[in-house]
Amino acid sequence: MINNSGLIGIFARRNCLQAALKALRKNRVDIQAVYSPVPLHEVEEALSAKPSSVRYFTLTGALLGIVSGIFLSAYTSLQWNFIVGGKPVVSYVPMVIVAFEFCILLAIVFNLLGMLVNSQLPRFSIPVHYDTRFTQDRFGILVQCAESERATVTTILKAAGAEEVRHAT
Amino acid sequence: MKDLSYTDINQKVMGGMSPPGRVYLFFVASCFLGIVSGALCWAYQIATGMGVEGIKHPMVWGTYLINFVFWVGIAHSGTLISAILFLFRASWRTPIARSAEAMTVFAIATAGLFPFIHLGRVWIVYWILPYPNQRNLWPNFQSPLVFDVIAISTYLLVSALFWYTGLIPDLAVIRDNTRGIKHKVYKFFSLGWLGSHTQWRHHGAAYLFFAALATPLVISVHSVVSWDFALSIVPGWHSTIFAPYFVAGAIHSGLAMVITLLIPLRRIYRFENLITTRILENLAKTIILTSLIVSYSYGIEYFMAWYSGNMAERDTFIWRAIGNYAPQFWIMIICNSIVPLGFCFKKLRTNLVSLFVICLLVNLGMWFERYVIILSSIAHEFDPYSWGSAYRPTWVELGIMLGSFSLFFFLFLLFVKFLPSVSITEVKETLKTPARPL
Repeated sequence: MINNSGLIGIFARRNCLQAALKALRKNRVDIQAVYSPVPLHEVEEALSAKPSSVRYFTLTGALLGIVSGIFLSAYTSLQWNFIVGGKPVVSYVPMVIVAFEFCILLAIVFNLLGMLVNSQLPRFSIPVHYDTRFTQDRFGILVQCAESERATVTTILKAAGAEEVRHAT
Repeated sequence: MKDLSYTDINQKVMGGMSPPGRVYLFFVASCFLGIVSGALCWAYQIATGMGVEGIKHPMVWGTYLINFVFWVGIAHSGTLISAILFLFRASWRTPIARSAEAMTVFAIATAGLFPFIHLGRVWIVYWILPYPNQRNLWPNFQSPLVFDVIAISTYLLVSALFWYTGLIPDLAVIRDNTRGIKHKVYKFFSLGWLGSHTQWRHHGAAYLFFAALATPLVISVHSVVSWDFALSIVPGWHSTIFAPYFVAGAIHSGLAMVITLLIPLRRIYRFENLITTRILENLAKTIILTSLIVSYSYGIEYFMAWYSGNMAERDTFIWRAIGNYAPQFWIMIICNSIVPLGFCFKKLRTNLVSLFVICLLVNLGMWFERYVIILSSIAHEFDPYSWGSAYRPTWVELGIMLGSFSLFFFLFLLFVKFLPSVSITEVKETLKTPARPL
């Protein structure tokens, strides 16, 4: 959960951002979020130990899709109970196609759901500390620190090349 | 493109969304008129009955099915560019992926209209849904037509969600650069995207799964469409090659349509340094490959008709080349197999005029391919009564066809004006990140 209290440092250069992150981690400062106009994979890996859990949502959807596809085609066949083309009422081969399409359909729906849940979207209010330049060409680091540490953290951010450091309130 | 900065990309792409000029409005109005004409023709068909169409026994599948297969095919290259090339890390596809994805969504939505139009009594379409009802009727899940309904609906939903997921960060860019009502609308649709590292991480993972799942889906969709034909016993349709043949044909026509849309787009919005000639050249090279696969399939169909010793099959294929549908057949061969080979010459694939003309011809050829496959087969079935049946679309069918093309281009025109037609984020990713000299 992003806490609005703290400091936000704004950077124009990617390597300055990386230097600031290194220094902040060395000083055990609590980094809340890193904002960027593009994905920064090295930052994602450094700050998030585990891979995204979206994959579990996708897998759940895929399995649910397979079961739904098989159930739907078997259930409707049994309800209709009519021999088509000399094949058994519940034929397995055509079920594969139905199960496959349902597998993809529900996997995708759950995949999107997983992304939204994990990213805490949708959110209809933009936090006060957010800077619109983060979608253009600037990078940002949001840190949370005690009042007494603010001067030190500001110095770290400025030393790394932050253009601007301000209170994230 | 490498010389551009992040700000340049924002400005360039958002520049395309500036208030429209007269030429744009003229095209939008023309497409709108086309849609109205199509809708009126459909209304006339509903009010009068299915007899206003040229489709009569045995020619029960006419332009509605031709256009359905054509538009589903057009959709395919969008997924090839956005998903398959993404998985292969072909970075050249980045500037065109968004437009190609949009084309997929609009083409599949247009295709989806035709089964409804062909149904006749469209208001009782819900009868084909599986739900307990007093008629005790259930859809037959062993039928390729039911597979088709599931596959096309899945494809429409998946491609729309894939497109939207990729759009979210770009919608946030527009949100941050607009004011007033525009800001509110883009804020709503960007879902409050902030671009934090957590959001990028989950977005990246989800996007990868979208691409990985869309890839087998796209292959399955046109395979399922081909089984509408191949699972019957009609000579000319009953063939195991149909699935790969249809998938290759779909990508062939779709790539041609992408180029047809991109050439005017880059010219009008001055995207020359984003959508470079190299990208168009790569697409043209891919068309050579798909053309060769399609030509091979045409050859194999004839070989199998001869080698199988099946009289009905052999006679159908001979008749296809010299009978009532011979002009359409030869248009198909020339436009799909011979004309695209022009792209073997660098001059032709780097010249915008020749690219545009060849791609238009491929589109024409692929439309006629569906015409030939569908009509020349049922016009030469086992029953001699069918032999030589000639089908001519009526003005109602042509009006609806005009409406479908107008709808597709209308949606695309709205897309380029209201949404970023080039993926801002993905293009930025290909650029050198701003860094302080060390």
